[in-house]
Amino acid sequence: MNIINNIISNGMIFALPLFIMAVGGIYSERSGVTNLALEGLQGFGAFTGSVVAVSLAGYFGADSPVPVYLALISAMLGGMLFSLLHALLCNYFKADMVISGIVINILAMALTAFFTKVINKNVFGEASDGFMLGIMDRFSIPGLSEIPVLGAFFTNIYMFEIIIVILAVITWYILYKTSFGLHLRAAGDNPAAVDAAGIDVIRIRYFAVMMSGALSGLAGICFTYSITAKFSSSVYMGFGYLAIAALIFGGWKIMPTLAACLIFGFARSAGYQIVQALGLPSAYSDLVMILPYVLTLVLLIFLAGNSQAPRALGEAYDKSKR
Amino acid sequence: MKSKHDKLIVAVVSVLIGLVAGAVIMLILGKNPFSAYYSLLSGCGLAPKARYAGGKNILSDFSDYLDFITSMFFAALAVAVALKTGLFNIGVSGQMLVGGFIATVLIGYSSLPAGIAKPLVMIIAAAGGGAIGALIGYLKYRFNINEVVSSIMFNYIAAYITGFLINTRYVDPVSRQSKDINEAARLTLNEIKIGSYKYDIPIGFVFAVLAIFAVAFILDRTVFGFELKAVGMNREAARYIGINVKRSMVVSMLLSGVLAGLAGATYFLGYVSTIQPKVLPSTGFDAIAVCLVGGGSPAGIFFSTFFLMIISKGSTYMSSQMGLDAEITSVITGLIILVCACSGYILQVMNRIRNGKEKKEGKA
Repeated sequence: MNIINNIISNGMIFALPLFIMAVGGIYSERSGVTNLALEGLQGFGAFTGSVVAVSLAGYFGADSPVPVYLALISAMLGGMLFSLLHALLCNYFKADMVISGIVINILAMALTAFFTKVINKNVFGEASDGFMLGIMDRFSIPGLSEIPVLGAFFTNIYMFEIIIVILAVITWYILYKTSFGLHLRAAGDNPAAVDAAGIDVIRIRYFAVMMSGALSGLAGICFTYSITAKFSSSVYMGFGYLAIAALIFGGWKIMPTLAACLIFGFARSAGYQIVQALGLPSAYSDLVMILPYVLTLVLLIFLAGNSQAPRALGEAYDKSKR
Repeated sequence: MKSKHDKLIVAVVSVLIGLVAGAVIMLILGKNPFSAYYSLLSGCGLAPKARYAGGKNILSDFSDYLDFITSMFFAALAVAVALKTGLFNIGVSGQMLVGGFIATVLIGYSSLPAGIAKPLVMIIAAAGGGAIGALIGYLKYRFNINEVVSSIMFNYIAAYITGFLINTRYVDPVSRQSKDINEAARLTLNEIKIGSYKYDIPIGFVFAVLAIFAVAFILDRTVFGFELKAVGMNREAARYIGINVKRSMVVSMLLSGVLAGLAGATYFLGYVSTIQPKVLPSTGFDAIAVCLVGGGSPAGIFFSTFFLMIISKGSTYMSSQMGLDAEITSVITGLIILVCACSGYILQVMNRIRNGKEKKEGKA
């Protein structure tokens, strides 16, 4: 019983940030901009969030929740700013979108590693390649958490999980229930038609990419506050690519993508729980780490053939070709 | 079609912008960029150092530098071959790791004599890398799985599985890495004494140069290479003229994986002799940068490897001389490929400038 509870609550911690990052990816790709940059965006967001959290920590009491909220906001802003680079490369400089995404990832890794060292040395006066953040407080929602089995979804949760759920509802509503969301989705399928209707395709694409930057940044700082407990090169664990895999076999739709992320999350936490329950040495948890990646491949084998990518995905919009 | 001349312009412009931006960062941090760049050269044996440790001279630094870049030649070629067919092999690191790990376990720890062990190391590593590459190609061919996603998945799977096996079976308790391989299996002849100096002589370097010629020959002079390029340029047109597009993609990924495996052999059983568990070699990712700057052609890769690797290899020496963090060199490399990715835009601007000049001359 306890094991199932742990699988659920630990699985959600991994699945929700992954999901919100994938939602950002859906925005970007539905508008027509291929986005392999999620990995770099989440890392850069985590970096800006961590810098803010570490530098503000002294001004607030140890129990004050303010730095954490500020860290989340600045992570979103940081991710958004960095994603502008991807938007510029894809929309203005007409770079190959796949290459641009990879370049953004390489650059994010290099920049954050370099500036982490520089900031640690020059501002905090210590030689370190990371920022210690520690782990956020966890709490249970009274009442709801007492429901058998399902109560685990409300037990031992982080504050960011609630934020992600709220944001997920909002982004879902914007994408599917507003005319702006319709324009965005049309921009990825038939940008010429959107342009003919008098709507600025490029502006929509800028917005969509920045949305993915903000959401990825949020995901990055959430991983830093829960799984890694500090910012270092360890935030680049390929979660951004996992999010891309999730959205591909979610068929670029939000709800199926959520299902994919939940499968990843539960597979991962179940693996850990099994290693622990069997009392295996810690090296075995490395084997468990491959579960989400193997599952991705297996699921893609069954689903990749059926899913329909946005028709204009990966093509820079060129007015003169209309 | 981009001409060779255009590619050169893009490469030079990107490198210049990258170096200037790096210099600006150094100036902000209060360091002299000229002496920093000079120390990069000294670190690679391309310029004299102020002082040398015992048994070392400028040539031994240079041979160490050649040893370092050998695996990059293979890795960048691996990226290039896939890219020619329109595929993006970002899994070179994982394929290097698989090839290097299998060769380490099977040959590196065996007591085979050098004459048998060294060729076997290369063959086995090439087979290991090629198998992963072909699998990625097959998944694309059979199930339409995006090669970027699957190769990244294989990167992590390779890192964790080899890490698990090293940690449970082959670990050296002191260094926390895999145990050193036997010298007989190593592709770098370590500390060879010539005169009063010691040199590390990379055997793989000869093969890397041969591989550059071989890939250039395959791509430019054979029907098979023409088919690969045709598929990369326009898949529909290639299908229309009767090229087996899907087979071309699988074979291209196989070849790419073989080259990545050789990169793994020359890195893990050459430049170094151990494997760090759970760590993907950065060579596979830097290879993308090298390939882009080299314009994707074997000849271009030859020069861009020489140049960009000065920045990586020299970083350690620069860091010790200047008190600059070695990571700044990856920032510079990152900026160079960022500009390189905008090649289309750069050429457009260059053309505009050129046309403008012609117009003015025409009026006068």
